[in-house]
Amino acid sequence: MGRAQRQRASALVVVVRTLGELMITFGIVILLFVVYTLYVTDVIAARQQDDVDDKLERSWASPVAQQPAERLVKPELGSGFARIYLPAFGEDFRFVVVEGVGSPQLAVGPGHYPGTALPGQPGNVGIAGHRIGKGAPFNDLDKLNSCDAVVLETETDFFIYRVMPMSDEVANWGKVKQRDPRCAAVPSLRQAGQPEGGPYGRTVGRRIVTPDRGDAVAPVPYRPENPLPKAQQASLVTLTTCHPEYGNSERMIIHGALVNQIPKQQAGSYQALLGLIGEPV
Amino acid sequence: MYGWIWRHLPGPFGIRLLAALVLLTGIVALLMFVVFPWLEPKLPFNDVSV
Repeated sequence: MGRAQRQRASALVVVVRTLGELMITFGIVILLFVVYTLYVTDVIAARQQDDVDDKLERSWASPVAQQPAERLVKPELGSGFARIYLPAFGEDFRFVVVEGVGSPQLAVGPGHYPGTALPGQPGNVGIAGHRIGKGAPFNDLDKLNSCDAVVLETETDFFIYRVMPMSDEVANWGKVKQRDPRCAAVPSLRQAGQPEGGPYGRTVGRRIVTPDRGDAVAPVPYRPENPLPKAQQASLVTLTTCHPEYGNSERMIIHGALVNQIPKQQAGSYQALLGLIGEPV
Repeated sequence: MYGWIWRHLPGPFGIRLLAALVLLTGIVALLMFVVFPWLEPKLPFNDVSV
């Protein structure tokens, strides 16, 4: 091999080697990004949750708390105004719900759809939450069964919602699951004999819908034309998250109905509340 | 590329190793705390609202 030839060969070696190194580096960066979305965001979200939880606790303890009704009229974007508990996922499942469903708000915790009902009101309390990373509050929504409790805590009250009958349970709801005393008050809002089961005929415990179904959090779910006056609307809670678990092609929707309201003064603590509503502690 | 960086780090082996580790940590921190938080909301993987 001549000298020029050898130089050309070694230049080629450098180019190929550098290209290979860049590719390996890119692969490692992608892996780091996966680590970031699955784990690092959890840590960041946990710290932000602690912050809003402290703030919420302090605002509830402050003297302004004399007029809670006024405070709850319209929560400020990004501020925590309630807590959500899903006892089926363990006693320690507890998140502060912040106002808004933009990514900065959802990075902190479950977010309340602005304009939807507030806890306890007639209509539909819409709450979105991440399923992967950022604390993943709604990671296990697919494991919720009908009749499982969704507890919302406000300044003054615990509102106990329970997941409505699943589509395959609606027909025999009264005969089977409603026999359980915990589930006795959980309504199947489907009205037999009416076209499509009445205004709430499409509202079952869990639905998988396309991302454009903004009407899942409408006052009467899936009825954007809003067929009922406010006074006749059922008090519902609707939880939304992404579906499938690592995808965004669909959304998982959980609907629950209000079955009970217990003032915090009466319940004392959340632990005591679980005993009151018959949840295993 | 990595060979070139290694040759341009100053000092004896120990110092070079330390400098390389510091560089690596810095780059990972830059990715984790600046680049990824900026990039992540722009990707459609985690839409949860309707």
